[in-house]
Amino acid sequence: MTAIAEIRNVSLGYPGLTLFRGLNLDIEAGTTLAVLGSNGAGKSTFVKMLLGLLEPLTGRMTWPGGRPREVGYLAQMSEFDRRFPIRVRDLAGMGAWKGFGFWSGLDREGRNRVAAALDQAGVLELAERSLHTLSGGQLQRTLFARVILQDAPLILLDEPFAAVDQSSEAHLLGLIDSWRRQGRAVVLVVHDLSSVLDHCSHALLLGSGSATYGTVEDVLTPERLIAQGYLSKSQASWMLRSAQSNVDSARV
Amino acid sequence: MWTPLVFELFAEMWDYAFMRRAFVATTVLSASVAPVGAFLVLRRLSLAGEAMAHAITPGVVIGFVIAGLSVTSLLIGGLIAGVGVAILTAFLTRKTILRSDASLASLYLIALAAGIFILSAAGSAVPLKSFLFGSILGIDDASMMLVGGVATVTLISFAVLLRPLIVSTCDPVFFESQSQRPWIVEQAFMLLLVLNLLAAFKTLGTLMAVGLMILPATAARYWSSTITGQLVLGFALALASCWIGLTLSYVLPETPSGPGIVLVAGVFFLISAVIGPLGFGRRLRKSSDPHSNTVPTPLPVERTQ
Repeated sequence: MTAIAEIRNVSLGYPGLTLFRGLNLDIEAGTTLAVLGSNGAGKSTFVKMLLGLLEPLTGRMTWPGGRPREVGYLAQMSEFDRRFPIRVRDLAGMGAWKGFGFWSGLDREGRNRVAAALDQAGVLELAERSLHTLSGGQLQRTLFARVILQDAPLILLDEPFAAVDQSSEAHLLGLIDSWRRQGRAVVLVVHDLSSVLDHCSHALLLGSGSATYGTVEDVLTPERLIAQGYLSKSQASWMLRSAQSNVDSARV
Repeated sequence: MWTPLVFELFAEMWDYAFMRRAFVATTVLSASVAPVGAFLVLRRLSLAGEAMAHAITPGVVIGFVIAGLSVTSLLIGGLIAGVGVAILTAFLTRKTILRSDASLASLYLIALAAGIFILSAAGSAVPLKSFLFGSILGIDDASMMLVGGVATVTLISFAVLLRPLIVSTCDPVFFESQSQRPWIVEQAFMLLLVLNLLAAFKTLGTLMAVGLMILPATAARYWSSTITGQLVLGFALALASCWIGLTLSYVLPETPSGPGIVLVAGVFFLISAVIGPLGFGRRLRKSSDPHSNTVPTPLPVERTQ
């Protein structure tokens, strides 16, 4: 597979505070990387490094094929101003603004692209609505439409399901799967293990000052989840029982 | 009955050159400060605008002490003080634990104290009332040029920066991730703020300069759900405030024009808050509609950091 980004021996954190050390991984086209860890483990910091907003304390990150012109990005919902006076179609259209510069408005093709992206995200009928009238799930779908319009080979999603209902989450996970099939690399910061197991190919587990990377099956073992402070022992045993029960029902 | 009286009043005011100049200056000023005010409100910098108005005081006073009450001294002194405070605020915010509001508050208080100290030390030669409330009815050619020049720079800058400004205001984290030099938009906006404060300083004074920026913008916010509507209505309300305020100060000669203009803008704000569709008006209409059985959609909760 083609590596979009190569990360070698990276330590990440802030002056006086190292969050984790010794991270080696490749972000490859056509994969979905789940980033997990307890609060403060460095998940969002890792995303900021990929965006170029933060330099590693040690080690290096390189772009073998050159830095992509566009990096799709969805920040945590808490960082967004939901009272801003803008319509759904204009918010989604921000994803395509780089393509048509400072002056010109959207031409017919651009408007069609925005409509198609809103349709894919399931919010086309809300195109003329103001932002403050949207529910959390509708807003997140609109922001996903913006990511679609960015048409980026690398997409970074920071806790995209934090404030959305189950049906929206299922719809958005479907979009993420389609991006992977299109050959894009997706980095997904999540808390919910079930979405990771079904929709991600690789996982990066952060916590206790270290970073573990590999396939989902290799990384997300109860022992590792406990060792890196992501789950307590009782939570891990419940998870094991639940997984065993799923296996048993599949056999039946 | 009223229409001829109003026409007569305007014809009478228009006979005086100082009134004609005041109307022209405030019209141009309204076009300039309206977009700045709109984005101050949208970027949650309303109080930062007020702080910046005080922060430029020492520069203006020092300029006055050195070179007299000229537009050049006002512009140079005010720009140095305003840009200096903006840069220092950004520096403290990036390099220390303080957030931008605390950094700006600390610096503007120092600047304001320095300004008052120098103003007092300079003695009675400084026209204190003119500093505090401006002198729109005594505006000279140089000041007209200042207002016109600042308005030109502001409108051209907004034509160029509007799109990045919208993105950086709506979703600053997304903008930072997409732009190689996101600070350029922020600093350019702060420069426009300082320039407009200086243009408004001569006409409305240090205490009232921000009033014409903020009040029409906050009033417009109650009516419009789009940026375009916000900008157009903000300008219309600023213009109406200036014209009505000037007329009031003509009819009541003892009243100062600057506070009159800002008071009219304040009335627009209160009316908008009560009847505007995004103010209490939305709830009033819902509750008075007998066919409506829906609860008004609550506005999203303000984010906290």
